[in-house]
Amino acid sequence: MSYVQFNDVKKTYKSGEVEIHALSGVSFSIEKGEFVVIVGASGAGKTTILNILGGMDTLTTGTVLVDGNDISAYRKRELTTYRRQDVGFVFQFYNLVQNLTALENVELAAQICKDPLPAAQVLQDVGLADRMKNFPSQLSGGEQQRVAIARALAKNPKLLLCDEPTGALDYVTGKAVLKLLQDTCKNTGMTVIVITHNLALTAMADRIITVKSGKIEKEYLNPQKADIETIEW
Amino acid sequence: MVVKYKQPKNGFSKRPSKSMLKKATVREIAGSFGRFFAILAICALGVGFFSGVRITTPAMKRTIQDFYEKHDFYDLRLLSTLGWETEDVEAFEGREHISAAEGSYQFDVICIDPEGNDIVLKTHSITEKVNTLWVTEGRLPEKDDEILMDYRSNCGYAIGDTIRFSSENEEDTTDHFTHTAYKVVGFAESPLYINFERGSTSLGNGTVSGFAYLAPEGYADEVYSEIYVLTDQSFPLYSDEYKDYIDDLKEELEDFTDQRADARYQRILDDANEELGDAKQELADKEKEGQEELDDARKELDDAKIELEDAKKEIADGKAEIAKNEGKLADANNELTDAQRELSDGKEKLDDGKKQLQMAAAEIEKGEKELEENREKLTQAKAQLDQAKSQLDQTDETLKSAQSQLDAASAQLMAALTQIDEGENALAEEEQKLIAAEAYGLMDPQSLAAAKAALAQARQTLAQSRAQYNDGMAEYQKNLAAYKDGVAQYQNGLAEYNKGMQEYRDGIAQFQNGEKQIADAKKAYGEGVAKWNSSVKEYEDGKKEYEDGKAEYEKGKKELQKGKKELTDGEKEYEDGLAEYEDGLVEYEDGKAEFDEKIADAKEKIRDAEDELDDLKEPETYLLGRDTNIGYACFESDSQIVSQVARIFPIFFILVAALVCMTTMTRMVEEQRGYIGTLKALGYTPRDIMGKFTFYSGFAAFLGTVIGYGIGIILFPAVIWYAYLMMYLKLPLQFYFDEKLAAASLITALLCSIGTTWLSCRYELAETAASLMRPKAPAPGKRVFLEYLPFIWNRMKFLHKVSVRNIFRYKRRFFMMIVGISGCTALLLTGFGMKDSVAGFAAAQYDEILTADAQVDFKNGTKNEIPPSLLKLLEGETESYTLLSTGAWDLVMKDAVKGINLLAPQNQKQFPSYFDLHEEAGGKEISLPKQGEVLLCVALADRYHIEQGDQITLRSEDMETVQLKVAGIFENHVYNYVIVHPADFNLDLNAAYVMFPEGANVYQAQTKIAKNKNVTGVSVFEDFKVRMTNMMESLNLVVLVVILSAAGLAFVVLYNLTNINITERLREIATIKVLGFYPGETSSYVFRENYLLTLFGVLAGLGLGVLLHRFVMAQIIVDMVHFKVVIHRESYVYSIIMTFLFTFLVSLLMRRKLENIDMAQSLKSVE
Repeated sequence: MSYVQFNDVKKTYKSGEVEIHALSGVSFSIEKGEFVVIVGASGAGKTTILNILGGMDTLTTGTVLVDGNDISAYRKRELTTYRRQDVGFVFQFYNLVQNLTALENVELAAQICKDPLPAAQVLQDVGLADRMKNFPSQLSGGEQQRVAIARALAKNPKLLLCDEPTGALDYVTGKAVLKLLQDTCKNTGMTVIVITHNLALTAMADRIITVKSGKIEKEYLNPQKADIETIEW
Repeated sequence: MVVKYKQPKNGFSKRPSKSMLKKATVREIAGSFGRFFAILAICALGVGFFSGVRITTPAMKRTIQDFYEKHDFYDLRLLSTLGWETEDVEAFEGREHISAAEGSYQFDVICIDPEGNDIVLKTHSITEKVNTLWVTEGRLPEKDDEILMDYRSNCGYAIGDTIRFSSENEEDTTDHFTHTAYKVVGFAESPLYINFERGSTSLGNGTVSGFAYLAPEGYADEVYSEIYVLTDQSFPLYSDEYKDYIDDLKEELEDFTDQRADARYQRILDDANEELGDAKQELADKEKEGQEELDDARKELDDAKIELEDAKKEIADGKAEIAKNEGKLADANNELTDAQRELSDGKEKLDDGKKQLQMAAAEIEKGEKELEENREKLTQAKAQLDQAKSQLDQTDETLKSAQSQLDAASAQLMAALTQIDEGENALAEEEQKLIAAEAYGLMDPQSLAAAKAALAQARQTLAQSRAQYNDGMAEYQKNLAAYKDGVAQYQNGLAEYNKGMQEYRDGIAQFQNGEKQIADAKKAYGEGVAKWNSSVKEYEDGKKEYEDGKAEYEKGKKELQKGKKELTDGEKEYEDGLAEYEDGLVEYEDGKAEFDEKIADAKEKIRDAEDELDDLKEPETYLLGRDTNIGYACFESDSQIVSQVARIFPIFFILVAALVCMTTMTRMVEEQRGYIGTLKALGYTPRDIMGKFTFYSGFAAFLGTVIGYGIGIILFPAVIWYAYLMMYLKLPLQFYFDEKLAAASLITALLCSIGTTWLSCRYELAETAASLMRPKAPAPGKRVFLEYLPFIWNRMKFLHKVSVRNIFRYKRRFFMMIVGISGCTALLLTGFGMKDSVAGFAAAQYDEILTADAQVDFKNGTKNEIPPSLLKLLEGETESYTLLSTGAWDLVMKDAVKGINLLAPQNQKQFPSYFDLHEEAGGKEISLPKQGEVLLCVALADRYHIEQGDQITLRSEDMETVQLKVAGIFENHVYNYVIVHPADFNLDLNAAYVMFPEGANVYQAQTKIAKNKNVTGVSVFEDFKVRMTNMMESLNLVVLVVILSAAGLAFVVLYNLTNINITERLREIATIKVLGFYPGETSSYVFRENYLLTLFGVLAGLGLGVLLHRFVMAQIIVDMVHFKVVIHRESYVYSIIMTFLFTFLVSLLMRRKLENIDMAQSLKSVE
């Protein structure tokens, strides 16, 4: 059985009389330790997938299994625990707490989970050893995103979910961040799922899932995984 | 991709037009109702509180003014010491400015209430044009014996009851009334008595229990006590214009009033003088006439008296003569009786004498014969004696010779004896010699033998001689004895002889004596015979004399009888005359007494009248305005309380409202940067864009104002009026819509909202569209000072650190939160503190200061001697007591006169245990004043700015003034007490403070003491305390309003700020939710700051509250009451707890909002 499994997942929003189908029957599976890229146009439903997978949103029908647990059957509190222990998030806009230093932002996540990694160590690992005491506003975008990644990693999660992690970054910095994610996947064996509209990134993934209009268009493994350094876009 | 029309701001995607902008704005309101509501609520609250509190005083005044106008409450009350006549009333009525004037009677009277106690009622006559009554039950009195009773202080009477006057009333009082009992026909409220006070009186215990109205015919007086005047002008109640107008009117009327009074005085004076003159003349005439009559009568009587005196004298003379003659007769009679007795005695004596004489003759004869016999006997005895004598002589001779013989024999014998002794001695000597010679051999034995023989011879001879001597001696002895017998015989014979001789001599003497007796007897006999003979003659003479006297006596007796009869007749005649005279005299005396009395009475009356006239002072007149009416004056100060509160409290609300609007709008503008940028990019002018925001906030403010004003002007006056109804008459409140206030409220609210909106928008609108559309950098994180204190910072939990940092991140919010919360706490504390101060002043007064249990008032005129029965009663019923003098005096200041309660303790040592004198601040003990010193209560000192060491002037009702030095200012809360030394004042001892024994039945003791005839009243302080506390309960509602407002304020501020806080930190909250914070952790992450801020706010608020409370209490001035500025510990605790409770409630409410935050949406993009 796969590490992550989506079985005919549907998500319907109701807005008055109108039913909007964000996901209409999505199924795919991901193995442990894979670097996955979910790609699709804006509004295709990739974020909904991420939200459901991250335990931030519920689904209408279907099942989602993560490491053998049916998270689609989780109630709100169980979902929170799931987020707390098993999922690390990296957002497009980093979503750091402005009022906390880099170290503290990491600690914020680390202190609530069972088996965290040392915050300072993680920051050092992402190359921010000397910026630990800085507030987010004192860091560049790339640095902020690194803090965000460090925050996600410090929880030592089962999944690392990244929503357009380079969306707000310039090319070079974006590449560095992606490199960090790829290295993390490679070095720690963590399952990393990246959502992007940038097709170029599929080259660096183990598994590529293409989403279109609420459905899976394509799902395939990348036999020739390229290093991020070699990818251009 | 599916489009979701969720946010109304999507409105701008349509073709831009102004109407679209409006539509967008309306949607905006619907979409962010929390924010809209925050502005609306704070405006409603602010305006509601402001207008409510502001309008309460005018509404209350309006209500009372309407009542006063409806019932024609007087403008001026005219008093004259001489009263007023109908023509005076008419004269006033005719004057300019005066629409009505009406005379009225007013007298206090002691009545018996249904329970049988004496109470004092203030009675008025019903007036028709001024001070009309509001009959609440029954009807107005129509007959002269009907009465209308006080509605609220009905003293237990019901319609149909009869109110009887007490016998305690003086005649002066009851003289004013036509009856002494009146029937209750109804109850009414009077504009003269709008509050609970009924005033004081000089009667009974000094307290008026209620008012009552009689028909004018119910009074016996002709002159009115007072005139009530109504002006034709109308002014707002208590307005300065009214005060000025009345002052002017008073000035204008003053002379006229005096003229009227003087005219009346002159009339009284003239009438009285004329009457007096007539009376004097009449008296003089009558006196003269009467005197003449009396004089005639007197003369007649005197004549009669002289006659009677003469007659009396004659009678007395006659009586004396008769008495004299009677005496004489009695003497004669006595004499005669004596003479008769003497005669008979004499006769008897004569007979006795004759018998004695005969007996004497016989005895003499017998004596002579005896004598003869005795003579013979004596002669015989003589012969015998002579013979015995001669025998004796013989014997004597014999004896003498025997004696001489004996003497010779004796001599011989003696000589013989001597010889013998001599011989013996010589012999003995010879013998000695011999013996010696023999011994020593001196002699030869022959001679010696011879010597011895001679010696023996001699010895023999000697022995013979001795024998001879002894014989001779014996014979001598024998002869001597014989001789001695002879001598004894002789002696006996001689004694016998002498005895016989003596007997003989006695016999001779006896005989001679008898001889002499006989001779005497013979002589006496002769004399007796002669005497007897003369006695016989005397007797005969006496007898004759007696017979003559007796005849004369008989004659005198007859004469006397006749004289006596004559005298008796005369006497009777005299007695009749005397009786007649005495009757006449009595008649005369009576007549004279009557005359004198009448004249004296008449003179007295004239003198009294003259005195009265002399005493009749020039009349004093008083023009009294409404401000001398207790109800009117009290209402002014009571309604001020609210307006004082109204002055400060709303400032908070305005400040907070402005802050709330500002924060809210700033947040809104920040949130809508992109929207503003888009509009700008689309070509809307800043004006148009600003319009949206100003409309948004302005509309909220407008709605809030309308709602707040609507609720405020009804709720606040209603609640406060309800509270005041406990002290005032039950009038329905006149609600009052003040356009100016409404406009002011609206303008303030709009200024707050639109002004702050403009301030918030200004900077944003100045930016370019492009920069506006870029997200604004979030407020950077900052280190807080606490981080530089590692020993604290390092010990704090991580999440606590976050909260601390957050608090200081948003300065404006921090400031506003502190202001709002501290304001809330301050208001709560002030509210509770007001309650403590107001509720506590009576307790403080009667538990801590005036610690006596009760005050007993004595009847007036109890100079320094209290009746022992009263003292005994006090001793019996109380544990202890102390005597004092009390009095109502005035404190005279430069520009004010203030009534005070004077206390002069009699016993300086006892007093402090009944009245604890100490300073208000610090509680330092104050000792009683020395002579020339005075202690003031703190209320007086505060109000008139008097300090220790100042000189003050006290004035009595009789205008006597005393100057004293202020020696101390003591804490006191009820009444304006001034304590003096008794030596500075000449006051009656008219009261006592008493302590009852622990657990005693106070009310029984009270009744018992009150029954004493020297006691006018017993006031139990516990009752005062309860009553005052109850009275002040009304303020509790005001306090409740304050507390509720504070709660509202806190709620709105906290809600709004939390709301802003959450929307502002939506991403952050969403992030931590995504990170896996449980809802509890999330809310504590967000709300911990609120609690922390609440803590700061509370701390600031407590300090602020203490100041605010002090200020508010200083504004609330109620006469006779000085509030204790105190906040109890509980109040602090309540204020703190309630503030936190509000924070908690807001957190609870906001938790839902937190839970509803959509993580997915929030993380999507930067807004």
